[in-house]
Amino acid sequence: MSDGLVQILEGNTFVVSDDKGDIEASRTDPTGLFSFDTRFLSRWVLTVNGQRLTALSTDDLQYFQTRFFLVPGSGSVYIDAKLSVIREREVADGFHEQLRVLNHENDPVDLEIRIEAASDFADLFEVKDALRKKGQYGNGVAGDSLVLRYRRETYVRETWISASTPALLDDKGMTFRVTVPAHGEWTTELDVVASEGSPEGPSDGPVGIRGQRRRVRQDLARGLQKWLQRAPTVDCDWEPLEHIYRRCMTDLAALRFSTLTMPGRALPAAGLPWFMTIFGRDSILTSLQALPFTSELASTTLQALAERQGTRVDDFRDEDPGRIPHEMRYGELTAFEERPHSPYYGNADATMLYVVLLDEYERWTGDTKLVRDLEHAAGAALNWIDEYADRQGNGYVSYQRRNAKTGLENQCWKDSWDSISYRNGDLPGFPRATCELQGYAYDAKMRGARLARLVWKDPAFADRLEKEAADLKRRFNRDFWVKDGEYFAVALDSDGRQVDSLTSNIGHLLWSGIVDVSKARAVVRHLMGPRLFSGWGVRTLAEGEARYNPIGYHVGTVWPFDNSFIAWGLRRYGFKAEAACIVAGILEAAEVFDGRLPEAFGGYARSSTMYPVQYPTACSPQAWSTGAPLLLLRAGLGLEPHGDNLVVDPALPKRIGNLEVLDLPGRWKRIDAFGRGRIDTDRVTRR
Amino acid sequence: MASAKTRSATADPISEFFAGLEQPGHLATFERETATLRFDVTDGARVEHWHVAIHDGDVTVTRRQLPADAIVRIARSPFEAIVTGRLNAQAALLRGMLTCEGSMAALMTFQRSLPGPPGSTGKVAPISSAEVMAQRRPA
Repeated sequence: MSDGLVQILEGNTFVVSDDKGDIEASRTDPTGLFSFDTRFLSRWVLTVNGQRLTALSTDDLQYFQTRFFLVPGSGSVYIDAKLSVIREREVADGFHEQLRVLNHENDPVDLEIRIEAASDFADLFEVKDALRKKGQYGNGVAGDSLVLRYRRETYVRETWISASTPALLDDKGMTFRVTVPAHGEWTTELDVVASEGSPEGPSDGPVGIRGQRRRVRQDLARGLQKWLQRAPTVDCDWEPLEHIYRRCMTDLAALRFSTLTMPGRALPAAGLPWFMTIFGRDSILTSLQALPFTSELASTTLQALAERQGTRVDDFRDEDPGRIPHEMRYGELTAFEERPHSPYYGNADATMLYVVLLDEYERWTGDTKLVRDLEHAAGAALNWIDEYADRQGNGYVSYQRRNAKTGLENQCWKDSWDSISYRNGDLPGFPRATCELQGYAYDAKMRGARLARLVWKDPAFADRLEKEAADLKRRFNRDFWVKDGEYFAVALDSDGRQVDSLTSNIGHLLWSGIVDVSKARAVVRHLMGPRLFSGWGVRTLAEGEARYNPIGYHVGTVWPFDNSFIAWGLRRYGFKAEAACIVAGILEAAEVFDGRLPEAFGGYARSSTMYPVQYPTACSPQAWSTGAPLLLLRAGLGLEPHGDNLVVDPALPKRIGNLEVLDLPGRWKRIDAFGRGRIDTDRVTRR
Repeated sequence: MASAKTRSATADPISEFFAGLEQPGHLATFERETATLRFDVTDGARVEHWHVAIHDGDVTVTRRQLPADAIVRIARSPFEAIVTGRLNAQAALLRGMLTCEGSMAALMTFQRSLPGPPGSTGKVAPISSAEVMAQRRPA
C-alpha cells in the first residue's frame, strides 16, 4: 500500500482513502470503500464552498476508526484557517462518518458543503487486472438517500448514502447549505451502506450483504479490548519483545474474519486489506502459530474449512472430494463463474495441514468433541492424499492445475511462477511433487493415527496410517536425498527426477518429522550455513542457485512465517541453539519493522545491509507474518503439550534476558512459562 | 413424517436429484449434521416445494410446505442447472439467482450433495519441463 493512504477495516469491509479522507479511484487505483470483494465507493470527495481541503493530521484511533483534521485550501501555502473540518470515520457494514465544521470567526458564516459520491462497483480482481464491467449503472434518489446502483442480470449491488441533517440530493452527491454561528459548529452524520439490492427493482432501503450483521460500533471497541485482555501477558527484559507481542495480538484482532455461516466466530484472514477472506493455507498456518496464545482461531478455521471441504470433482475449481479450499471470494467475477473462487481449491498442502491443525488443536485444548465432530472431514482429508493427490501414481503428493486459464500453477506456499527450479535455473514440468508436501503428508498420517486411536476409536485405521507414513518416510529419504549436496531436493519432477536446488523447504521437513535422524544434522548445517542463513533468517532459495535473487519473491527473500516453522522444526529435532538463532534473527528484524513483520524481506547478508530490506507487498499486516513471533516464542520457550501438562524447555537468545509468559491457555486451564536467555546467538546472526 | 419417494415419469432433473439424494438413506458427508431446508422452486406462477431433513447422515425428502431452518427460493431453470452440476450454487447465491432465508449453514451443508460439472474428469495431461521453459524466461 502506498504511503498517504489510510485504511480502516471491519470484517471484509474496508476503506482506503487519502489523508484527507477523500476517495478518488480510477479503474486500477486501489482506493475506495470495499465490501465482499466489491468496490462500493470509488469517489467520495468533500468540498467547502467549492474548495478542496488540506489535511493537518490523520489519526488511526483503532483499526476500524480514523479521524481526519482538515482546513479549507490547497495546502500549497500556509493558510490562516478561519474554518476547520473534522471527519471521523468508522467502518461497519459500509461506513459511518461524522462531519464537523468549526467556525473560528467572530461572525456567522454561510457555507455550501458538498460530498460527491460515485461507485464503479469493481470486483477486486478487476481492480487488479483492469477489466471492463459488463452491467449497467443507475444512480438515483430514494427518499432521504442517494442510491448508487449496478446491475448485471440478477446481480445487483447498491450503495445507500444518507445524512442526519437536511441535504439537497442529486445523482452525483449531496449538498448542505448551512450557516455556522460565530465560534460555533455544524455537524452531520453520514451513513454509507453497502447493499445487495434486489433484482426485482428498487428496494425501500439497503439490504445487508448476505447476513452480515450490522454491529454496534461500541461492540468493536469492546471486542478488541476483551481480545487483548484474554491474551496471555508477556514480560521481558528485552522491551522490544513486549511491543512486538502487543502489535501481533492487535493485528491478529484486525485480521479476524467472520464467515456468513458462523457469525460471531472468527478465523484469521490472510492479509489486510486485499486478502480479507478464507484462505485454507494461511488460515491454518496462522491458527497453528497462534495456538499457544488462543485456540479460538483454530477451532473456527477447522469448522469453516470443513463446511467448504470438497465433495465432487470440478476441474474449473480444481476441486476433489476431501480437498480443503484455497480461497473464497464474493465478487462479481466469482458470481458469474469467470473466476473459480466459489471457493477455489487449488492448493496441494492445506488438506494435509488441516489434519495437522486438528491434532495440534486437540493436544493444546483437549477438545475431543470437536475432533469427533470433524471425524468425517479429517477422514476425507486423509483419503484425499492417496486417492487424489498422488497424481503420478508414484506414492508422492504432487500438483498440476486442471483449470489452465484462471487456476494456480504452483499450488504450494511458494506460489509464484519461478519458485521451483533446478540448480541451473530450469523450471520443472507438471505435476510437481514438492518436498514439504511429502512432509505434511507424513505428519498428517501420523497425527491422524493418533486421533484415530485416541478419539475415533479406530485402531485399524490408525495402524494403516502409521504403516503408510513409515513407508512414505523410508521412500522419501531415499528418493529426495541429494547425495552430492546432502540435503533434500525441493521437488521431484514429472519424470521422477530430483529438482535439485537448495531451499528453505528443507526446514519444513524438520517440522513435519519426515527426516531420518541420521540426515538431520546435514540439513541443519545447510539451514544455518551462509548460503541459506542471511543473519536475519533462512532464505527461500540458497545463494549460488541460478535463480537466486535477494529480492526475488520466493527465490531469495526471507519469509518470517517460513522461519517460524523452521524454528519449530529445529526444536523438534533437538537443535535448540540453532532454533534460538532464528528466534533472535526474526525478532530483531521485527524490532526494526516496529513490531510488524512484513510478508518477506530481502535476503541480503545482514553484515552487508545492517538493516533488513522490506520486500514491497500489497498487504500489511499479513496473517502468517503476524503469527510468526508467536510461534517463535513457542520455539524459544520450548512449549510442548504433554498429556495434561505443558512442558517448558527454554533455549532463548541471551539478548532476551528474562522472559515470562503468563496465563497460557490450554487443557491445563492457565499456565505460566518462564525462560532466561542464555544462548549467544550473535556469533551466528551477526557473523 | 411421510416421505414421498418421488420418481417422476418424465425426465425432471430436480425430481431425479432429490430421489437420488434420499435413495441411499444415509450420506456420510451429512454425519453429525442436523439441518432442514425447504426449496421453493418457482416455475412461472407455480411454486413447487421440496423439504429436505438431514439428521446425522440420514436424509428425508418430502414435497410438503413445512417450516425449515433455511428457505431457499429459486426459479426452476437455474435450479435444474444446479442439480445437474451446470451451475455452482455458491455462484448462483452471489449472483442473486438464489436467495436463502434463515440458516446459511444449512445451505452450506446441503450443497455438499450437489454434483460437479458434467465433463469434469479430474484428469489433466502432464506438461514437460521443455514446454514450461518454452513459455517462461530462463534464469
